[in-house]
Amino acid sequence: MIAVLGLVVGVVAGLLVRPEVPAVVEPYLPIAVVAALDAVFGGLRAMLDGIFDDKVFVVSFLSNVVVAALIVFLGDKLGVGAQLSTGVVVVLGIRIFSNAAAIRRHVFRA
Amino acid sequence: MSNEDATPENRLRKELPEEVPATAPEADEVREPEPGLTGRQRLVKGLWPPRASRAQLIVALLLFGLGFGLAVQVASNSDSDSALRGARQEDLVRILDELDDRTQRLEDEKQGLEKQRDELENSSDQAEEARKQTVEKERQLGILAGTVAAQGPGITITIDDTKGTVEADMLLDAIQELRAAGAEAIQVNDVRVVAGTYLTDSDNGVSVDGNKINAPYRFQVIGNPKDLEPALNIPGGVVQTLEKEQAIVTVERSDKIVVDALRAAQRPDYARSSSR
Repeated sequence: MIAVLGLVVGVVAGLLVRPEVPAVVEPYLPIAVVAALDAVFGGLRAMLDGIFDDKVFVVSFLSNVVVAALIVFLGDKLGVGAQLSTGVVVVLGIRIFSNAAAIRRHVFRA
Repeated sequence: MSNEDATPENRLRKELPEEVPATAPEADEVREPEPGLTGRQRLVKGLWPPRASRAQLIVALLLFGLGFGLAVQVASNSDSDSALRGARQEDLVRILDELDDRTQRLEDEKQGLEKQRDELENSSDQAEEARKQTVEKERQLGILAGTVAAQGPGITITIDDTKGTVEADMLLDAIQELRAAGAEAIQVNDVRVVAGTYLTDSDNGVSVDGNKINAPYRFQVIGNPKDLEPALNIPGGVVQTLEKEQAIVTVERSDKIVVDALRAAQRPDYARSSSR
């Protein structure tokens, strides 16, 4: 419950504060958000499976974000940033879908 | 699945195929599952009642970060003016190229349209000019055909026939002489003289195109007076012939003769313009 509240508070704060995104972080923020979404879906599924562990969640969340940003950063340096970020989004999207399917099976039994 | 959970949802659940941990999810997250609970029950248990456990707080912190980033990204993405801010260099170059292409295309289109407009303006100017010329020509032809009034320099001839001796052929001679001398518009009393005019004798006078006119005969002639007057006065000419018949002829020059007798425009029954 507190976790859900945290998400809601975060969205509201982001909308209210509207901070300037630093130019350095800007290309990586969308990828980082998608990666974090993937981690959250993974965590939710683990919770429904009864195997949730906060330490694992924190590590996977942070590592997901960092690795995704790193891949995009590397891609930018190599000159294939656009393609690589597309690839990352595709992979994360597939994972989010499979996790969402598992969650759906738990919640709706279908 | 323990037996004391005999709720309908649990029975339903038993009919479902065995849940396999699909595609080894988050291999490092695998832990000993808590026994005896369905996923839905675990979800409800996690949501209510709220417990300020360490796990909940940490997850809340991370989710706060996620929500914050999500909202910031969405907000900055929906700002129209900063739509290009997050774009990569190669994307910007591509957008710039596309804009250049588009500008080029629009420029070409603009030139084409301007050319078309110039052509249309020219052609409408030409049409206007042609219309003016047609009107002018119609006016000139109208003077010859007697359908419009005319004015200009010319002479006035008055033939006073005291003895009743003037006949149609003498007036016809006078008209022919005037035409030969370059008369452009002729009016006898109130009848316009045109190409098809005919004169006949009638009681006490002359008929011009069927209109009976009586003496004194008054010719109003537009043309060069210096040509017209001598043409009438040549020895053995119109004036002398008339005076021999006891008629009194006076010729006056004038700078402004008005020929305002009109003749209805007649449409020929058979003849058609062969132009076009």
